[in-house]
Amino acid sequence: MQKTLRFSLMASATVLMFGASAQAQQGPQAPNMTFFVTSAPIGKGGDLGGLAGADAHCQQLAATAGAGGKTWHAYLSSAEAPTAKGVNARDRIGNGPWQNAKGVVIAQNVDDLHSANNKLSRDTALTERGAVVSGVGYTPVWHDALTGSDREGRAFPGNINMTCNNWSSSQFGKAMLGHIDRTGLADNDYARSWNSTHQSRGCSQADLIATGGNGLFYCFAQ
Amino acid sequence: MNRTLRLSILASVALMSLGWAGASQAQQNNMSFFITSVGSGKGGDLGGLTGADAHCQQLAAAAGAGNKTWRAYLSTNSTPAAPGINARDRIGNGPWQNAKGVVIAKDVNDLHTNAQINKANGLNEKGEPTKVRGDNPNQHDMLTGSTLEGRAFPPNMNLTCNNWTSSNFGSAMLGHSDREGIADTVYQHSWNSAHMSRDCTQPGLVATGGNGLFMCFAQ
Repeated sequence: MQKTLRFSLMASATVLMFGASAQAQQGPQAPNMTFFVTSAPIGKGGDLGGLAGADAHCQQLAATAGAGGKTWHAYLSSAEAPTAKGVNARDRIGNGPWQNAKGVVIAQNVDDLHSANNKLSRDTALTERGAVVSGVGYTPVWHDALTGSDREGRAFPGNINMTCNNWSSSQFGKAMLGHIDRTGLADNDYARSWNSTHQSRGCSQADLIATGGNGLFYCFAQ
Repeated sequence: MNRTLRLSILASVALMSLGWAGASQAQQNNMSFFITSVGSGKGGDLGGLTGADAHCQQLAAAAGAGNKTWRAYLSTNSTPAAPGINARDRIGNGPWQNAKGVVIAKDVNDLHTNAQINKANGLNEKGEPTKVRGDNPNQHDMLTGSTLEGRAFPPNMNLTCNNWTSSNFGSAMLGHSDREGIADTVYQHSWNSAHMSRDCTQPGLVATGGNGLFMCFAQ
């Protein structure tokens, strides 16, 4: 009896999984993709459920594009806390090279990614579905990517909360942001920075939207 | 006639100066460091560095120490139109002493490595203690907009309430006048770079643990 029940549950689960993956396969598939911008936010502002929650979001979206076989990590730093060391976004993403959903290589390695030589632009920073992110000149402007990082991809000191309480809060602190389209208000290195351009107004979803984003972020895989 | 008038004015000024000196405590004339007894009242909007310096000068004058040139310990970020300013570069060479004559640092390097700013020495221009952790309300957060070394942050970080002109945008980097905070870290014990404010409004500064106060230095 118990065994039958278990089998029946398993069968249901299988059917459910099959159903889900069949649905996902309706989207464009990019099994070789190792870089994308999330097509959708988690929706709770800077509260991503920590780095683990952000990584899971990357993994889930990658899976819908047929690239769930890799291990995905969000490009996010977290600041040092009394109980934990800081984490640098640049140390989380493997060694590269990374390519987008269309097969365009956006950087050869970690140093290349953090140099002026990287190939990130409005036309290459694509979502897992291969779509351009709506940026400056379009409506809405969602060009702000959460990073919590300095220009070298490193965490800020522990007195600076540019990570919405290490991606666990939609209330406290700010988020350091990058410009997905490399375009901003001024013509300077910061406005053109993909990973460290300016901070958000606050950490709520509404604040992220008001600043020029939607709580999107970068995902990388090896 | 003219000369008589001039002399009489000079005499009056001299008398007034004497009066001022007599009214305030003798030590306060040597004061070259204090914590403002009040803030601007508009959160992080201090009227820029100029407004903050004027606030220092005004409070110092009311306490009989207006004969020196006072500067607020505040940094500003670089903008497309202007380079950033480091708080450490604004305050002269030291030494600096509080209203009771206690030297809080010998020079700029000493100030940023071994400052004697704490609960006992963190006095306002009138020689009164600042309300700190354990007091009600706690007002130990000092506006600084500065790193541990007293320097400006990069321009992609607005930790100066739009260079001390806004009670809406950004946040303020704060120091702890009593060197005490919620954790035992180098930052929480920092007099000039402990943590950020919740925002730049006056209620935001109060809620964070301050009242929009800052530090003034003179040569």
